[in-house]
Amino acid sequence: MIEEEYRGAERWSRNRQAVFTVVWISFLSAAIGTMVFFALFDPVDLTGIFDADLDIDRDAGYAAGFFFFWVLCALCSGMTAFLVRTAPKRKAKQHKQ
Amino acid sequence: MNSPAGASMYESAKKIYPREIGGRFARLSYIATLSLLGIFYFLPWLTWDDRQAVLFDLPARKFYLLGLTLWPQDFPYLALLLIIAALSLFFFTALAGRLWCGFACPQTVWTEIFIWMEQWTEGTRSQRMKLDKAPWSFEKLRKKASKQLLWITFSMWTGFTFVGYFTPIRELGADIVALNVGGWTFFWGTFYGLATYGNAGYLREQVCKYMCPYARFQSAMFDKDTLIISYDEDRGEPRGSRKRGDDPAEKGLGDCIDCTLCVQVCPTGIDIREGLQYECIACAACIDACDSVMDKMNYPRGLVRFTTENSLKQRPSRILRPRTIIYATLLLSLCSGLVYSLATRTPLILDVIRDRNSLYREIPDDRVENIYTLKLINQSHEPRSFVLRVTGFAGIELDGAPGQILVEGGGVMSLPVRVRAHRDDAQGIHAIHFSATAVDDPGVHVEEDSRFLGPTP
Repeated sequence: MIEEEYRGAERWSRNRQAVFTVVWISFLSAAIGTMVFFALFDPVDLTGIFDADLDIDRDAGYAAGFFFFWVLCALCSGMTAFLVRTAPKRKAKQHKQ
Repeated sequence: MNSPAGASMYESAKKIYPREIGGRFARLSYIATLSLLGIFYFLPWLTWDDRQAVLFDLPARKFYLLGLTLWPQDFPYLALLLIIAALSLFFFTALAGRLWCGFACPQTVWTEIFIWMEQWTEGTRSQRMKLDKAPWSFEKLRKKASKQLLWITFSMWTGFTFVGYFTPIRELGADIVALNVGGWTFFWGTFYGLATYGNAGYLREQVCKYMCPYARFQSAMFDKDTLIISYDEDRGEPRGSRKRGDDPAEKGLGDCIDCTLCVQVCPTGIDIREGLQYECIACAACIDACDSVMDKMNYPRGLVRFTTENSLKQRPSRILRPRTIIYATLLLSLCSGLVYSLATRTPLILDVIRDRNSLYREIPDDRVENIYTLKLINQSHEPRSFVLRVTGFAGIELDGAPGQILVEGGGVMSLPVRVRAHRDDAQGIHAIHFSATAVDDPGVHVEEDSRFLGPTP
């Protein structure tokens, strides 16, 4: 057997895996989403929809868009991960003592 | 969350100390790292026609790629480029396995650089392990602090370079020296720098193991002819230690001397002798390690090597097979399509937006008019004059557009125009076509369709 010291036996806990994966995957999805969205729409054109007086420049528009997508994607994949992981397991029904 | 596993969430994970190894593939990875990062750090400084050669000018919504200027309207090129990138990944994965992971992925490349800096400041694998176990001393503090200094400086430079793709990098540099950086510029630079620091300094192979989608689904692109790193079990087993010069046949042993060097060098901490595992990023460090041992033992190299499942089982390997042929054909046609359409691109865009607020307007002399906003975008670098026309049905006329419209190089001209027709000709819905033609070159010509609404018959 190989000594433990040699082995990269490092394993992340399931919660840690879930948190990092959700944050990272939603980050990547948000990056793609932002790119496609702002290739089609100019943030300056969009600000007029919400509030005609809203005077923000494009940089701020891009940033707001990116974080909007990131939070949305994180919410979506986080909820999915949460529901999948906390779903009732079959054994729970057997009322084991 | 109240799950019992929650308690271990912040448990410090066991660290992997990959052992450094020289060899053919280490040299290859060295070259790949240097050239890829070289391109990343050097490219924004390149000048083309008095402007930055590669600049994604988001505030102005224009992309400069060498001699090419792309506009938001050129979005299809971007989509095509993304599809080509994905297909290339499939193609090279089918051919050569996780070549991308081991040599070209930014995660690998930046991790490599960060490990170099770790080695310069903290020493070899065994020195690093000893240092981490040792109590805090001035020496430990000095080594750790110089590592952090290198890492942080490098991360900041990385963040600066990243922002330099979106803001002219020379001006940005001058702004930084003058401590006059815009809020968002500072934010994105720090954000990217921090991400590099965290990903390459701390998360490292955990990104590949737990966070990378490609690592999980790449097996779908594998077949028995895909190049993988594999341990030759038939030759190596039974493994066992021995003295140099012992005849393995006499002791009933295979060629593996069980030195565990292949495990020690592995950045993801797997044992390649247990077969292909999804954690393997094909960095080939184990091949270098094993080859060096085989050389010392005077055994032939290649106990661990790049091979295919078929050739391990003494069956012929094929490079040309339906999977690679399909990927290659698709890739080739998309690439040539992209090159062709870029080469024959008309440097002029005409957008037509029909005024949605009114269907049509009645004007004197029994005529009706529709209102449109035309956007003329001159994508060439020189100012140009254009002639606008509208066709579609009898008696249709354009009003509000001067005979020749001058648009500056790289400029946008927004033009409200009216299209008029006699009400007898204009009943119902008509398809109409706007066209714009450059005065100096009739070849520069675009058409755009719209609709004309008239009174119901």
